[in-house]
Amino acid sequence: MKMRVLLPLLFAAAGALLPGLVGSTLLMTLLTQAVINAMLATGVGFMVRQNGMVSFGHAGFFGLAAYIVALCTTNHVVTAEFAVLLAVALPMLLAFLLGLAILRIAGVAFSMLTLAVAQSFYELMLRWRELANGDDGMAAELPPRLFGAGIAVFQTPESMFLVCWAALMVVLAGLWLLSRSHFGTLTIAIRENEERARFIGYETLLPRALVYALSAGIAALAGVMFALYNAFVTPDVLYWSLSGEALVMAVIGGTKAIWGPALGAVIFFLFKDVAGDLTEHWPAIIGGTLIVVTVLLPRGASGSLLALVERLGVRR
Amino acid sequence: MLIQILNGFVYGGLLYILAVGLVLIFGLRRVVNFAHGGLFMLGAYIGYTIASIAGFWVGLVASVTVLAVLGVVMDRVVFRPLQDEDPIVTMLVTFGILLVLEDLVRTIWGKDFLTLKPPAGLDGIIMLSGSSFPVYRLAVIALAVLVAGGLSLWLRSSRVGLHVRAASVDPVTTAMQGVDTERLGATVVAIGAALAGLSGTIAAPLLALSPSMGSFILIDSFVVVVTGGLTSFTGAFVAALLIGQLHNLGVVFVPAAASVIPLVLMVLVLLWRPDGLAKKRS
Amino acid sequence: MSEIVLEGTGLTRQYGGFRALDDVSIMVRRGEIRGLIGPNGAGKSTLIDVLSGRGAFSRGTVKLEGRDISGLNARQRRLAGLARSFQRTNIFGDLTVGEQVHLAARAAEAENAGEVMEALALAPLADRRAADVSYGDQRRLDLALALVGRPRVLLLDEPAAGLTMQESLTLAALLRDLAQRWQVTVLIVEHDMDVIFAICSSLTVLHLGRILVEGPPEQVRVMPEVVTAYLGSSVA
Repeated sequence: MKMRVLLPLLFAAAGALLPGLVGSTLLMTLLTQAVINAMLATGVGFMVRQNGMVSFGHAGFFGLAAYIVALCTTNHVVTAEFAVLLAVALPMLLAFLLGLAILRIAGVAFSMLTLAVAQSFYELMLRWRELANGDDGMAAELPPRLFGAGIAVFQTPESMFLVCWAALMVVLAGLWLLSRSHFGTLTIAIRENEERARFIGYETLLPRALVYALSAGIAALAGVMFALYNAFVTPDVLYWSLSGEALVMAVIGGTKAIWGPALGAVIFFLFKDVAGDLTEHWPAIIGGTLIVVTVLLPRGASGSLLALVERLGVRR
Repeated sequence: MLIQILNGFVYGGLLYILAVGLVLIFGLRRVVNFAHGGLFMLGAYIGYTIASIAGFWVGLVASVTVLAVLGVVMDRVVFRPLQDEDPIVTMLVTFGILLVLEDLVRTIWGKDFLTLKPPAGLDGIIMLSGSSFPVYRLAVIALAVLVAGGLSLWLRSSRVGLHVRAASVDPVTTAMQGVDTERLGATVVAIGAALAGLSGTIAAPLLALSPSMGSFILIDSFVVVVTGGLTSFTGAFVAALLIGQLHNLGVVFVPAAASVIPLVLMVLVLLWRPDGLAKKRS
Repeated sequence: MSEIVLEGTGLTRQYGGFRALDDVSIMVRRGEIRGLIGPNGAGKSTLIDVLSGRGAFSRGTVKLEGRDISGLNARQRRLAGLARSFQRTNIFGDLTVGEQVHLAARAAEAENAGEVMEALALAPLADRRAADVSYGDQRRLDLALALVGRPRVLLLDEPAAGLTMQESLTLAALLRDLAQRWQVTVLIVEHDMDVIFAICSSLTVLHLGRILVEGPPEQVRVMPEVVTAYLGSSVA
C-alpha cells in the first residue's frame, strides 16, 4: 500500500527534475508536446477505462478549448484567466449534454458519433473564416501575465514542461482517487453490465455522461495548455487525425492502468522522433501501428508492464 | 428552389448508396467499418484512372469489381478473424485501415484535386421550370432509387437476402439455425464494399477527388446510419434523403454551419427515439 | 390467510404476432415461496421480466404491497423492494465480489452486505474478481446482489441453472432459510423439480402464456392437465 503512494510520488518528482537534466531545448520542446498529448490521451483512456466506450473525437474538445482561449483573449471578451476556465468548462458541459443524448445508443454508434461531432467542429472552424481565419489559423493574443505568472513561463519549453507535468500528475492522482471512490466502482459496474446496474437500483445514464464530461474536460485542459504554449491555433487541432493519434497513444499504453495512456503518449513521441524522415507517411504509420498493437498487444505497454511486475513478484 | 431540392436528393442518393453498405456490414458482423470512407475514396480514384483510359462505364465496372474483391479480402483477413473479439478491436483496426488507405491514395495520386467528366450522353443539361440542371445529377438520383429498389427486392426474395435480414435481427440464432454465416459474411461485405466503390465512382464527376474526400462523406454517412437505426435499410434510405436535403440547404443558406445541421437533426431524432427512426425502443 | 404482497393483473406481452404472455393474473402472499413452472416457452421468464420491469412496456398492472408500480422502471422497482436474479449469470465481472455486494447494498440503503455475503458463503471470496471465481460462486453472487437490503419480494429466474444436483439442493435449502429469516417473499422459476418440491409452498403452472393451474405442490403434480402439458417430463 505504501509503495502504491510512494512510487508515483517519486516518479512525479523525478519528472520535475528533467528540465534541469536535459540540456537540449529541442528535446524539451518534444517532451513538452509529449506531456500535453499525454494529457489528451489520458482523457481518451479514462473514457475507455471507466465507460468502456471509445471516442474517436476527443480532438474536438481539445481543439474547442484551444479555440476558446485564442478567441477570448484575442477579442478581449473576458479576462484570460476566465477564458482558461471557460475553455475547460464549456467542452465539459457540451460533452455532458451530448452524452445524455448519444450515450443511450450502442457503443459502436457512439464511436461513430464522437467522430462526427469533432469533424463538424473542424468544418465549422474551416468554413467560418470571419470567426477564426479558417485554414490560416489564428494567433492568440495572450496578456503579459496569467494566473500571476509571466506569460513567458507558459511559452518556454523548460518552464512549460513543469507546468504541464504538474497538471498531468494532479490529473492522474485525481483520477486514481476517483477510481477508488464509490463513483469509480459504480461506473466500472455500469461498464461491465449496465442492465444489472439498473436492476440493483442505479440510474446509469447520468454517471456515464459524467465520465464523458470529465474525460472531455481532461482533453480540454490539454487544449488549453496547447494554446498557451503555441499561442496559435489552426483547424488541425480539431482534425480527426489528432483524435486518432490520441487513441493510438491510449491503445499503445493500454487503458487498464490510469497512467497507461500517458505512457503511451511518451512512447509515441519517441517513436515519432525516431521515425523522422518517414513522417511524410505518418498517417499510414499511425494506422499500421494501431492495427498491430490492437491485435497483438491488446493490454498495451502498461498491461504488459504490470503483468511482468506480477510475474517477478510471484517468483520472488 | 426545385433545383435546390433536386441537389439535396443527389447528395442524399450518394449518401444512401454509401451508408447502406455500412448497414449491411453492421447487420451481419455487428461492427462499424470505419474503412468505408477509404473504400469510397479508393473507388473514386480507381474509377477515375480507368475511366480516363477506357471510358466512364468501364471505369465504373472496374471500380465496383475491384472493391467487391477487396471486400471479400477484408472479410477474410479482418472481420472473420476478429469476430469473437470486442467490437472495439475491429473498429480500431478498420480505423487504422482508413488511415493507411488515405496515405496510400495520397502517395499514388497526389494531394491535388482531380476531376472526372460525366459520361457521354449524360453530360448535357435539361431545363426544369426555367432553370438548367445537369442530366448526370438526375441519373445519380435514378441510380440511388434503383439501388434501393434492387436491394429491397434482393433482401425480400432471395434466400441470401432472407438470411441477411434474419442475421441483422439476431446473428447468433441465425448462425445456430445452420445458416452459413461465413459465406454470407463474404458476400455481404463484398456487396457493401462494391456499393462504396459504386458511390465513389459516381461521385467522381460531382465532387472533386482528394485524399480527404472519404472522411468527409464518411461522417455524413455515419450520421445517416445512426439516425436510420443502425440495422434498418428503410431507415437508412429515409435518413439519407433527409440529411441530403438538410446538408444541401445548409450549404446554400448557412455555409459555415452546414456540417453541424445533420448532427443537430440526429441528436433530436435520438432524443425522440433512442434507437433511430426505424424503431421504437424495445 | 396473510396479505397479498405482489399482484399482477391482466399481464400481456406480445412479440409481433406471438403472445408470450396472455392476460396472466397472479397473486403472491407474504411469506410464500411460489414456484413458477411450465414447459419451455410457457412464458415463465417473460412473466418475471414483466413483473420486474425489464424490456418493452406491456399491458397489465403490477402491484407491490397494494401500491401500483406498473409505471416504475427496473431501478425504481428495486428500490421499492422488488428484486430479481437472472437466468444467465448476470454479475459485474471486473469488480471484486465484495465491491459489488457493497455497491448493491448502497443502492438499497442497506447495511447488511456483510451479513448477506456471510450467509451465502461469499465472505472468503470478498477480494476476488468476480470473473475469476467458480460458476457456483457466481450463481450465489447473483443471488446476493438481489438479496442485499432484504427486498420484500424476490423474483428468481432459474437460480440453480447449470449447478450440480448437490449444489442445487444446497442452494435450495439456503434459499428457504434466508427467505424465512429475512421475511422475503419468493417467486421462483426453476426447471429442477427437486428444487421446486424442496422449497415451494405453492405452485403456479404456466402453459402457452396462460396460467394452467395453481395450488399446493402435492396436488399440482398429479393434476392430469399438468401431466398432459409436460407430456411425460420429470413431473409426470
